[in-house]
Amino acid sequence: MAKKETSDALGDLVTDKLELNLEDLCMSCAITQTEITTYVEEGIIKVEGEEPAQWRFSRVNLMEVRRAQRLTRDLGLNPAGVALALDLMIEIEDLKCRLAHLEKDGTLHI
Amino acid sequence: MDYKDYYAVLGVEKDATQDEIKRAFRKLARKYHPDINKEEDAEKKFKEISEANEVLSDPEKRAAYDQLGTGYSPGQDFRPPPDWDAGFEFSGGGPGVSGAEQAAFSDFFEELFGRAQRAQQAEFHAKGQDHHAKVLIDIVDAYKGAKRTIELKLPKVTADGHLITETRTLNVSIPKGVHAGQHIRLKGQGAPGSGKGDPGDLYMEIAFNSHPFYHVDGRDLYLNLPIAPWEAALGGKVKAPTPEGVVDVTIPENSAQGTKLRLKGRGIPGKQKGDLYIVLQISLPLADSEKAKNAYREMADELDFNPRAKLDV
Repeated sequence: MAKKETSDALGDLVTDKLELNLEDLCMSCAITQTEITTYVEEGIIKVEGEEPAQWRFSRVNLMEVRRAQRLTRDLGLNPAGVALALDLMIEIEDLKCRLAHLEKDGTLHI
Repeated sequence: MDYKDYYAVLGVEKDATQDEIKRAFRKLARKYHPDINKEEDAEKKFKEISEANEVLSDPEKRAAYDQLGTGYSPGQDFRPPPDWDAGFEFSGGGPGVSGAEQAAFSDFFEELFGRAQRAQQAEFHAKGQDHHAKVLIDIVDAYKGAKRTIELKLPKVTADGHLITETRTLNVSIPKGVHAGQHIRLKGQGAPGSGKGDPGDLYMEIAFNSHPFYHVDGRDLYLNLPIAPWEAALGGKVKAPTPEGVVDVTIPENSAQGTKLRLKGRGIPGKQKGDLYIVLQISLPLADSEKAKNAYREMADELDFNPRAKLDV
């Protein structure tokens, strides 16, 4: 049984505007403050300020936390493992991008 | 409804230990996790293995599944025998995937384990799960903004307890200036909340369709521009396409293969505009006529040129 409806939606660009505090972030991600602190210590998310109370997060951070949670749950990684996986993924993405660029030339010139 | 062979999906024997099942799932998850593998069919594959894992990693569900018997082959039409689950209590939940994620599992899973999950979900009030989708746009759309129609399939429980799939069509306006990897958030378009909770949000990740001659790196756009040897040697003005229209580009004298020319601010628009890089590709005319051959012979005679001077030969 299926029902159909159509509506218009205006997309908001997810930006790095700092609009969430630690409490907001924990609530949105169903995560404890201690876990967030570990993520920050491991460099999974970057924040400015020493004290957790001063930390402000963007929606990009929120997506990063969710991704870290998925990797933790699905792959059984600990925070250090997540941090390593993310670093390697960024590096691979960067290399793929450069490779695609070089392949477009038909030649590899250095 | 098709029968699913969960053991085959995870590639384990029927008598595999819980540890072997966990390891098999982890191994496949590392390969197909949609956060890691960006291939299009990775997500589908990951859902299949998650579903198999959800059943086989839970001793109660696994015992019930085994009880169905082994006489089925994958894809075979399947109806569960009446009272197939008598004597099994599904405590459900645990650290596994959430109800909303399970909603994406197959009809087979839904028929066998769906009821137990729904009964257990009814109690609390929580914000609905956020949904994620990927949307492909053309590079040119990033300069102008775009409209995309996407179809969302949302499972919904009716007042009398039936599960229906609601198809919702959304006309989404994508603002200009987006680049690959960015997300667009549609507030309230995710899964419905539990109890009095608000619905979740829908996040769409932007990716670019590949383009025959443009190539994007972050906010910068790259174009490989073919030029003739005399254009490279003598310099001059040539025309180049950009997403905003054709522009005149000045080639400096004696430009080498691979020279990059930067057109500032002509990359992906936005607060921090990207740049457009034009990479010169010297294209050689074929010596396919006597006239062309003579032109090359004349160059060979007139020019004192050894391209291999640096190789000491």
